[in-house]
Amino acid sequence: MLLPAHDYVKPRTLEEGLGVLSRSGAAVRLLGGGTDVTFNMRNRLMQPAVLLSIRELPELLGVEEWPDGSLRIGAACRLADLAAHQAVNSRHPALAAAFKAVASSHVRNMATLGGNLNLDTRCWYANQTQEWRAAKGGCLKTGVDACHVVASVKTCVAINNADTPPALIALDATITLASAGGRRTLRLADYYRADGVTHTVRRTDEVLTEVIVPPTPDRLVFIKDTARLGIDFAYGTIAARRAADGRTRLVLGSLGPAPVVLRRAAVIATQRGLADTHIEEAAEAAREDLGVVSNLYTPAAYKRDLARELVRRALTALRDMP
Amino acid sequence: MSPKPLLRLTVNGDALELLVSPQQTLLDVIRDQVGLMGTKEGCTTGSCGVCTINNARGEAILSCLTPALEWDGQSITTIEGLERLGDLDAIQKSFVHYHAVQCGFCTPGVIMSAKAVLNRHPRPTDEQINDGMAGVICRCTGHIKVKEAIREAHAFAADPAAKP
Amino acid sequence: MSAKPGEFTVIGRRQPRLDGFEKVSGRAVYTDDIVLPGMLHGRILRSPHPRARIVSIDASRALALPGVKAVISSRDFPDVLFSERQPLFARDTANYIGEEVAAVAAVDAITAEEALHLIDVTWEPLPAATTLREALRNGAPRIHDWAPGNVGPTHEKDYGDPDLGFAESDLVVEDQFRTPMQHNTLTEFHVALADWSKPEKLTVWTPTQSAPMYQQNLAKGLGLTESQVRIVYNNIGGAFTGRGRPKPHHFIAALLSRRTGRPVKIRAAGDEEFIMFRGSGETQYRFRTGVTRDGRIKAIEMDITFDSGGHAEWVMILWLPAAVMNWLYHAKGSRYRGRFILTNSVPKGSHHGGIFGRISAGWMQHMTRVAEAIGMDPAEFHLLNAMDPGDTGLDGTHFASCGLKECIRAVVERSGWKQKYGKLPRYRGIGIGIGAQASGSKGAANDTSAAMVKVDGDGLVTLFTGIPDMGQGSHTVMSMIAAEVLGIEPADVRIVAGDSDVVPFDWGAFSQRGTFMTGNAVKNAAEDARKQLAAVAAQLFGVPESELRFGARRVFPASSPQKALSFAQLVGKTFNSPEGRYVMGRGFFNSPRAFGPLACSFGAQVAEVEVDPATGAVKVLKVTAAHDIGRALNPLGVEGQLDGQVFSGMSQVLYEECKTDDGQVLNPSRLEYKLPRTWELPAVEYILVETIDPYGPFGAKEVGEGPIVVTMAAIASAVANALGVGMVEEIPMTPWRVRAVLDRMPG
Repeated sequence: MLLPAHDYVKPRTLEEGLGVLSRSGAAVRLLGGGTDVTFNMRNRLMQPAVLLSIRELPELLGVEEWPDGSLRIGAACRLADLAAHQAVNSRHPALAAAFKAVASSHVRNMATLGGNLNLDTRCWYANQTQEWRAAKGGCLKTGVDACHVVASVKTCVAINNADTPPALIALDATITLASAGGRRTLRLADYYRADGVTHTVRRTDEVLTEVIVPPTPDRLVFIKDTARLGIDFAYGTIAARRAADGRTRLVLGSLGPAPVVLRRAAVIATQRGLADTHIEEAAEAAREDLGVVSNLYTPAAYKRDLARELVRRALTALRDMP
Repeated sequence: MSPKPLLRLTVNGDALELLVSPQQTLLDVIRDQVGLMGTKEGCTTGSCGVCTINNARGEAILSCLTPALEWDGQSITTIEGLERLGDLDAIQKSFVHYHAVQCGFCTPGVIMSAKAVLNRHPRPTDEQINDGMAGVICRCTGHIKVKEAIREAHAFAADPAAKP
Repeated sequence: MSAKPGEFTVIGRRQPRLDGFEKVSGRAVYTDDIVLPGMLHGRILRSPHPRARIVSIDASRALALPGVKAVISSRDFPDVLFSERQPLFARDTANYIGEEVAAVAAVDAITAEEALHLIDVTWEPLPAATTLREALRNGAPRIHDWAPGNVGPTHEKDYGDPDLGFAESDLVVEDQFRTPMQHNTLTEFHVALADWSKPEKLTVWTPTQSAPMYQQNLAKGLGLTESQVRIVYNNIGGAFTGRGRPKPHHFIAALLSRRTGRPVKIRAAGDEEFIMFRGSGETQYRFRTGVTRDGRIKAIEMDITFDSGGHAEWVMILWLPAAVMNWLYHAKGSRYRGRFILTNSVPKGSHHGGIFGRISAGWMQHMTRVAEAIGMDPAEFHLLNAMDPGDTGLDGTHFASCGLKECIRAVVERSGWKQKYGKLPRYRGIGIGIGAQASGSKGAANDTSAAMVKVDGDGLVTLFTGIPDMGQGSHTVMSMIAAEVLGIEPADVRIVAGDSDVVPFDWGAFSQRGTFMTGNAVKNAAEDARKQLAAVAAQLFGVPESELRFGARRVFPASSPQKALSFAQLVGKTFNSPEGRYVMGRGFFNSPRAFGPLACSFGAQVAEVEVDPATGAVKVLKVTAAHDIGRALNPLGVEGQLDGQVFSGMSQVLYEECKTDDGQVLNPSRLEYKLPRTWELPAVEYILVETIDPYGPFGAKEVGEGPIVVTMAAIASAVANALGVGMVEEIPMTPWRVRAVLDRMPG
């Protein structure tokens, strides 16, 4: 099936592209690897007037190791290249695992890190063809005040299924957003909104250009639970980080419209340590930390159990790491 | 809409200049304009792999999930590009020999995926095969003989005279 | 029992498929690859309502769109029926989301799609019942006048004396089971290209399992005679029982072509595949078995309720299980009760494994429970009650060959059953299943297969056969059969197939019949040709025909091989004889019985699984499969069939499910409708049990659909065993269902 009509624009420089965005950003979709955008355009979930190809912009490419030990990753780097990258693997093997966890090798040969960080949210109702959706009427995500998943909600609860944000958030990664007006830097943790429709704070005149991962001696674990290895969106993911002094961070993915930072569970793990009983306590707390859980893939009750299990496994793995 | 832009694309060694619409994916161009029908249209969601081709680096690419114009100036290989004058590529021979082909509809995409695995790992491990092939569905073979054919393809590469 | 050395030259060989080159090189042409001059693209407008009255249809805006060549609906073709009581296009009321309302033909696909949005339909939504539960509820809306209580066709049948059987039983065990709506997930999406530009000739290019079935249905619906409908079906991207009957889009492509005078192609777009498909619907089962204390089955009862969707399209599904339930065990009697329930959802057909794969996933868990209820090892229980060669089932099916017990013994031994059953650690499970499937389907159809061979002067042979090859490798096996008879090589036999104007009648490739039925027809045709050659050779050599040997591309008297002529030389001498004889052989096959199969394939499998109690995820570790297939004509092809069926069986038991809401599929894609991939494959071990059936070609029986039935049984039983429950009452056994079972368990 053909894509909806649009103009294709491929700027040679970032500034040229930012110019397009500043003039007509709301009508533009940024095109990285295309694996998410093409899919959504076919379903007429996205019908931009312009596709702006940013895949080959030099400013968005390359992995650099900075003198302070930070890694600077261009947003247009392909996930396949990042998963295999020597510096990523040697510094943060769990981050490399998160890159490798995305979809299939086919998709990772195309998809970019920026694309995954901006991956559109998903649910049973919105992510369908136009004809399919016509049978249901619209929903919050398609501009109508209704939700077919959780009737009572006022904001969209479509799931953020991106595999890479939890690990990057746990690592305190920052991102740069560029616009014709300048640059701003923010923590990736602050990038996401718990709203399936406008699920990031990116303005339509901005491009996410790079991700900076600061150095850390801490342990990091990434786990993805999924129906089938090597193709699926997750039932749930977790990234867990632990410092030598016991400070612990826990971030869940695919269990809400935004990545979920588990505060109570992390406090328990930080303050009481990782004896089996404390891991159980932290895991139990994780169930409570989840907000509204929508029904993509699994029943809500199962999702809460899964969150508990992911925390249990991640903390156990952190404890048992050599 | 603006006039159709020019796409310069090399397909299986043939340099082509094509007027295409932004609405066309790479798959649309391969099938409808270049006229190579070996690459199939399947799910168009990136999860069946029957549209797989190789890029210039020999990697597996889903041609249904990428706008054609993104490929300006690029070179690709489709299933038709593996065989030369009736002489099959090692992976093609191996697929015939090990009965890794049944209905054949997924076969072009599966073979181009397998080719990408072998381009990186001439003697692939099970894990490398699983990783490279998880993006395709072969409903008929259940992937069992597909994996065998990939694992053993090196024998056909070592002996070009080998006939399936 | 394998072939004796020298018994065959071709049969039993591991023969790579003869269309391999075309398929691996990308040359094989499938329906969607065909582009005809002047071809238009068709799209179907579908009902967005589970049940609604059509107040009006106005196509004027669509017809005004440049590039649109035709818009048709029930207003144009009110009398075209798709099935007995079902108009092709919804007439007054649409009964499911996705029901055909109108269709467009346009110069390209995007124009056709655009035109769909310009057809104005005024709807009046009506109360709907989209599930079995809703349709059977008191006060449910009646979907069709002819079906009070939404109960459609029913089938009730007793065999033997089930009441006496239950009376003689010491224990009666009863269980319930449910299977969901499942999709065939054909790799090649549904597609039809129709050319009806001349009124007396309709050609439809489309993948099919049965060209005659398509001819009959299309001819009846469109007012043609059967052979006025030509079906072209060369390469077929899988079938899995999903291409047994034509679908509405075949009819619609034809009508659009008639209306425009140009060829029209309709291909399922994305999620449309989940409307066109006609896979299995939600099904509820009640199994009841009476057994004596010493483990003998006395009575078998099965009660099945099918969600048939918005229409009752394929009634065969309803009555087929009645006979099949009699093929495994001796019993005093059996009782079958089946009914179709109409719901406001897509009409249903069947999934890979026919109906019996799904039944078996529950029934074999139930039989394991029966065995355990009387304290028997389920493998011993199956063995005690299993059919023997020469037995006849209660339905009258006779088993001239039967390797069921041999299969059970083989899997028990090779899987280490005795060391594992009841002795595995918690959350590890082992299960056994057995099964039987027909070779041929007489009664469901006339079941004839016919074939022709022509023999050319250079010794190459052309075989004309109607059997479709949708991947199972039938064409290769048919070449092997002809080559074995004529003493030549499979590569010497060219296949002409896939065109109903050209090939002789063949009922097709479903209900497991290709190797057995078509194989016999091909063997007969080749023998007819050989007889013609032998008459000449006998004169040339001055020996009786019975003395002649055909093999290795040579023909010679048994007593003096040194006198051999090459096969090509003999053909040349035959043609260049004074009579100028041209050799053509013809053959056909049908069962001498009035009804039912002439042979059955049997099998047993053991599966081992591991359950993760925390997530509920199930991993299949190993499947050991033994199948009585008569004789493996091409062991490579047999393994290929087993591979695919073990994979598909695992897929159905653990993964596949159409989630629905208001009659609409929530997961209509290859991403969300899950089939396992490379990482999920279990280890497999196969044992081919060769019983050499007296009626099969060279003793062969079928392997096309029997194994999946047994895989589903074995894996389902293994999961129940791992969980330590009698039955897991529903498939697929997804992580959350497994978790729910664990949560309900005491302690």
